[in-house]
Amino acid sequence: MLTIKNLTKSYGPQQILKGIDFQVNQGDVITLIGPSGSGKTTLLRTITTLEKGDGGTIDFAGVQGELAHLSKNDIRTIRQNVGFVFQNYNLFNNKTTLQNVTEGLVVAHKIPKAQAKTIALAALKKVGMADYVAHYPSQLSGGQAQRVGIARAIALKPQVIFFDEPTSALDPELVGEVLKVMRQLAEEGATMVVITHQMNFARNVANKVVFMADGQVVEAGSPADIFDHPQVPRTQQFLAEILSNV
Amino acid sequence: MSLDTNFMAQVFKTAIAGVPVTLQIVLVALIVSLPIGFIFALVRIYRVKILSPLVRLYVSFVRGTPLIAQILIIYSAFPSFLATIIGKSAFSIDPINYAYIVFTLNSIATLTEVFRSALQTVDKGQLEAGLMVGMAPRQTFVRVILPQALVSALPNITNATLYLIKNSSLAFIMSVKDITAIAKTQAAFSYNFLEAYLVVWVYYLIIAYAAELLFWFLERYFSRFQRTTTAKSFNWHLFSFKQPTTTVAAVQYDPKKELVNHAHN
Repeated sequence: MLTIKNLTKSYGPQQILKGIDFQVNQGDVITLIGPSGSGKTTLLRTITTLEKGDGGTIDFAGVQGELAHLSKNDIRTIRQNVGFVFQNYNLFNNKTTLQNVTEGLVVAHKIPKAQAKTIALAALKKVGMADYVAHYPSQLSGGQAQRVGIARAIALKPQVIFFDEPTSALDPELVGEVLKVMRQLAEEGATMVVITHQMNFARNVANKVVFMADGQVVEAGSPADIFDHPQVPRTQQFLAEILSNV
Repeated sequence: MSLDTNFMAQVFKTAIAGVPVTLQIVLVALIVSLPIGFIFALVRIYRVKILSPLVRLYVSFVRGTPLIAQILIIYSAFPSFLATIIGKSAFSIDPINYAYIVFTLNSIATLTEVFRSALQTVDKGQLEAGLMVGMAPRQTFVRVILPQALVSALPNITNATLYLIKNSSLAFIMSVKDITAIAKTQAAFSYNFLEAYLVVWVYYLIIAYAAELLFWFLERYFSRFQRTTTAKSFNWHLFSFKQPTTTVAAVQYDPKKELVNHAHN
């Protein structure tokens, strides 16, 4: 469904992504793990066109082309078929919870207002935020805000939802409510790509784990493969460090 | 020393004719300079070729020279310049037009900087969020970024307006018959300068107070999405040491969250 080949990306002299191949199939729940600075976030941002890739190709939603030379139409097509959940939520501060969800439906997807409201309310109900429709983001806790962020993404019925460390900005006691919503989405068959440091989520919910380091995919496989039988020393080292911390 | 209260009452009555003149200068300058200042700010932020350095030059030129010098230059140079085009009738133009020009040019520079800093306070994530729900950059700008920028611009627009109101008193140099000019003329007859100036003082105080009130309502209206549980109320006291109520940033900084972030990374 989504295929990235040989993606490269540099900031100035520093190469962040060194030729990444990445594939997402329908219904996949992929977690991206790896040390900070390994290029996980840049990979997500380049696939979703928030950053421009230097090299490599994309095949997604009918768009086939070089990532460095996408037309405006291609970019728009890609953006309208992905959902993105940000680390720091990025809810529209001047819009209510409900408006945050309907905004994209009405303005970008040209869905009539009444229908958009119905879709939005259903999405908010799914993440347990239906009672907060009139609240502004400044009145929500981090966990609530992130659940609205998820509702905003799923309401658009995207082919893939990307999560960029969705729980990293949350107070520890709020992480659970967000992970619960994400687990529920995964069980309903949503296609998700999740950067996370929550190893339990990676192990129990994902069907595929990708370990990245230094701008490359070091190892990829089922959670059991990666967590129980890592083949590459770099993966073993990372997992040993992260699991010993807990 | 005693104040001639009868004279003060008399000046109060005659100077009221200057109120519309002062307000006219302020309103014309504001109405013209608000949109131009906004466009100039966009030119600076999007680094439009050729125009951006010109705007920057203009702003530093206006901000780097005293208002009184600008007034004197415009007032002495402009009529002669105009005379070479339309002839002698240039000298009989109502001087208030020169006041419009000076104060508009001055406000444009101030408001360019006000809008520029306001637009920069909006987090880049807001634009990205808009793009990721499929909106075009322009749609996101109009529907998400602009309303937020406007809120952070309002306190500074209030400031700029108050300065404009007070600076407009310098229009008397261009023989515009505003509040200050009328009171000064009156005082010159009987040498009751202090009384006349006190009246001027009161007039500006009233106008500035009214402007503050007006902008407070605007601010409250446009920042309704930032309001948490504590409702702000206008500080009615003319003289008070109470700090003006500041708008709380929509996303509050929480050191605890920072710590959690670092722990994860």
